[in-house]
Amino acid sequence: MKRKILTTILATIIFLTGCWDARELNELGISLVIGFDIEDDKVLITAEIINPVYSSEEAKGDQIQSVEYVQGIGNTILEASRDITLKFDRRLFISHNKVVIFGEEFAKRGLVKNIDQLLREREHRETAKVLIAKGAKAYEVMGISSGVEQIPANYIAEIVNNIKYNPKTGDVNFIQFLKHYYHEGRHPVAGVVEKKSKDEINKVGNDGSDKDYELTTLGMAVFKGDKLVGYLNGNDTKSVNFILNKIRGGIITFPTPSENQEAENLRDFSSTVIIENKTKRDVEIIDNKVILKAKINLKTSMGEIIGDVDVSNTENIKKMEDACSKAIEEGISLAVKRVQEEFKVDIFGFGVEFHKKYPDKWKEIRDDWDQIFSEAEFQINVNTKIIRTGLINTPLFKIKVK
Amino acid sequence: MVSKDIKVNKEKILTCFHYTSDLTTYEFESNYGIKMLICYIEGFIDRKILNDDILKPLVLGLKDREKIRQLIFSPKIEEEILFENIVDELSHGKLAIFVDGEEKAYLVEISSWEKRSIEQPGAEAVVRGPKEGFIEDIAVNKVLLRRIIRSNNLVFENYKLGQQSKKAVSIAYVKGVVNEDVLEEVRRRLSKINIDAILESGNIEELIEDKPMGLFSTISNAEKPDVVAAKILEGRVAIFTDGTPHVLIVPKLFIEGLQTSEDYYIRPHYASVLRFLRTLSLFISIFLPGIFIALQLYHQEMIPTTLLISAAGAREGVPLPAVLEVFIMIIALELTKESGLRLPKSIGMTVSIVGALILGQAAVQAGIVSGLTVIVVSIAAIAEFTIPDLANALVIARIVIIVLAGFAGIYGITIGFIIMAVHTLSLESFGVAYGWPIAPRDWEGLRKDTFTRAPIWKMVFRPKVLQNYNYRRQVPPRKK
Repeated sequence: MKRKILTTILATIIFLTGCWDARELNELGISLVIGFDIEDDKVLITAEIINPVYSSEEAKGDQIQSVEYVQGIGNTILEASRDITLKFDRRLFISHNKVVIFGEEFAKRGLVKNIDQLLREREHRETAKVLIAKGAKAYEVMGISSGVEQIPANYIAEIVNNIKYNPKTGDVNFIQFLKHYYHEGRHPVAGVVEKKSKDEINKVGNDGSDKDYELTTLGMAVFKGDKLVGYLNGNDTKSVNFILNKIRGGIITFPTPSENQEAENLRDFSSTVIIENKTKRDVEIIDNKVILKAKINLKTSMGEIIGDVDVSNTENIKKMEDACSKAIEEGISLAVKRVQEEFKVDIFGFGVEFHKKYPDKWKEIRDDWDQIFSEAEFQINVNTKIIRTGLINTPLFKIKVK
Repeated sequence: MVSKDIKVNKEKILTCFHYTSDLTTYEFESNYGIKMLICYIEGFIDRKILNDDILKPLVLGLKDREKIRQLIFSPKIEEEILFENIVDELSHGKLAIFVDGEEKAYLVEISSWEKRSIEQPGAEAVVRGPKEGFIEDIAVNKVLLRRIIRSNNLVFENYKLGQQSKKAVSIAYVKGVVNEDVLEEVRRRLSKINIDAILESGNIEELIEDKPMGLFSTISNAEKPDVVAAKILEGRVAIFTDGTPHVLIVPKLFIEGLQTSEDYYIRPHYASVLRFLRTLSLFISIFLPGIFIALQLYHQEMIPTTLLISAAGAREGVPLPAVLEVFIMIIALELTKESGLRLPKSIGMTVSIVGALILGQAAVQAGIVSGLTVIVVSIAAIAEFTIPDLANALVIARIVIIVLAGFAGIYGITIGFIIMAVHTLSLESFGVAYGWPIAPRDWEGLRKDTFTRAPIWKMVFRPKVLQNYNYRRQVPPRKK
């Protein structure tokens, strides 16, 4: 009897589930990047789909294009994506999207409102990076690949990932974007991608290939609610990343505190390489005035010294640390001031800190927070530690055997 | 009963054996006029001993019927009066001597037949450790075991199984260490066997197994005396069968499949690494092709992008669905395995080369299967060979998992895993939990001799599940 029951259950398990969801790999159009635009008040989807044959053995040598581009248009995202099936032989498979690009117009009309489908659909992955095509349609920036990667999507994803070497870009994925959107007292930011003419290298002249353009992810897109309001420049982006505690690497350049301060030495700069960074945001009310605070603890290693400083001396290291801290402080103060004046939105999340610290007060001011934020005083405290000096101590030009 | 007249006896014996041609009966008379008859089965006995030590003294010197024992120089001479027993012993290679006028027969053990020499067994090859293996002769096998356990506590008990085959079967155990409950159970189950013939120990295995339809065998077999010795020294019972080098050992634990004798002869660190590898290959062998199919058909989002692209590229143009593709590869692999095993060694090589070429290169180039499938199926097969003890079960488990994965993806694999785990861990072998020390959990066993191998001086106790007294194996020479 027991056995019969068990067999029945097993048979049910196996046969009632069936293979309703099975999809062979060669029925899928694997998309790696997808772009959203508004055209004629309709959603225009552009997807970059891998042509899997390009990686196989026979294709070596033949010039097979690694990707295909498809477009579909409709009133909703789903309609647009099904529009694609009329002209393309495979169903769109978007689980492997690394990047989602929104056209500027799409972002200005309100992002979160229009992307309901992306979270309702189980295929979509929330770790995809959100990028805004600066001053362009999404499909205009897609398909440009000026790196080594054969697949343009990987090229874009990798230059966003390069935030660990240069924090002048915005690296925000879907889940972070939405989290910041839903936070009270905070506005989201997103990455930026911009198409620009490729710099001529070596001035040898272009070989006429399609690498006339390259992409850059310099900067950051600022949102008010779910609407795009503007962009930050590279240095401000770096400062915002500092306050958002998103620094994972990069360098800081500051004027070298040379021993003999002559006029010609004032142009000398030094750079440190960031090893570790920890930022603490804080809000305080003093005399009924809101003060925004940020405390940054930075560990760096000496990367480059131009100037007359011998860092084998602890006092000089201290000087370098102070100069470094000062440079960061100035940069961040400038960036905060610019955000306060230009955009008047709290993209740093100080409102969240306020909410945590003064929950009662927050209820009174929650609607006016952006106003309060843009008028508040900002205090920054940077503590830099140079824990390594590289392979040499004294600057190269001073090493001389006597 | 034996008659006084040898003519009657001769007729009786020949009738008993239905006048078979290999039964030799020889009547002769001694110099002093005593008539005698000897019977034996051709080829069973040593002709030189028969001529020099039996016939010669009897013909030359037998004067007194009673003094026959003084003339035959053999320690193994018995008197027998029951005819059935005489017939029985003749089949086992003894020589029967009837003396005219006596109501009994003398049975002399001078058997000798061609044996294979002791060689290294093919299935349990080792780098370090004794290389001798059992042969087909049960007497030699018993000696091989006693040469390792030279103790008066090593006990053999003899059985004769099968009405026709009358197969000599012995159980061996170490008195004082053996689990008496298991021993009693082995005796009971062996005595219940009532079959025409036992041809190999596999027959006994199936007849006395706890769950004959279970996926895994609950009786282990070994071809090496050191393995048998180690196991019976832990409290197990060995069953020797004449005519086969495979000795059965009960009870069996699942983890024995992951252990080899060499684990205990090499240093424990590397032995532990090997144990870990075997555990890994157990899972790879069962689940890898299934997971491959599940990911490919249902969970494409779980495959790393780069791998997905190359997998999709490889599948482009493959005419078969993924499940069928894997099945074809598995069938091809099993064919190669089986043919390589059965063919003579010289041709076997050819088969493996042709098989490898067909499986590996040509099938992929022709676009019948994708390269990735070949890799996955081959890895599963290679993993299977690291645990030969469980290999047969693994093939079946793998196919079940593939079917489940093809129907229901990771969900199906999970169901399959749960069912297999429950089934395996609920098995019993002669009253001993098969899943020990995993279920029932025994930390001592898990820590010391399951997925790792502790140094010998740390294994102070015998596996607790096999024992009901006498746990201690040693007083360790070093104490912490």
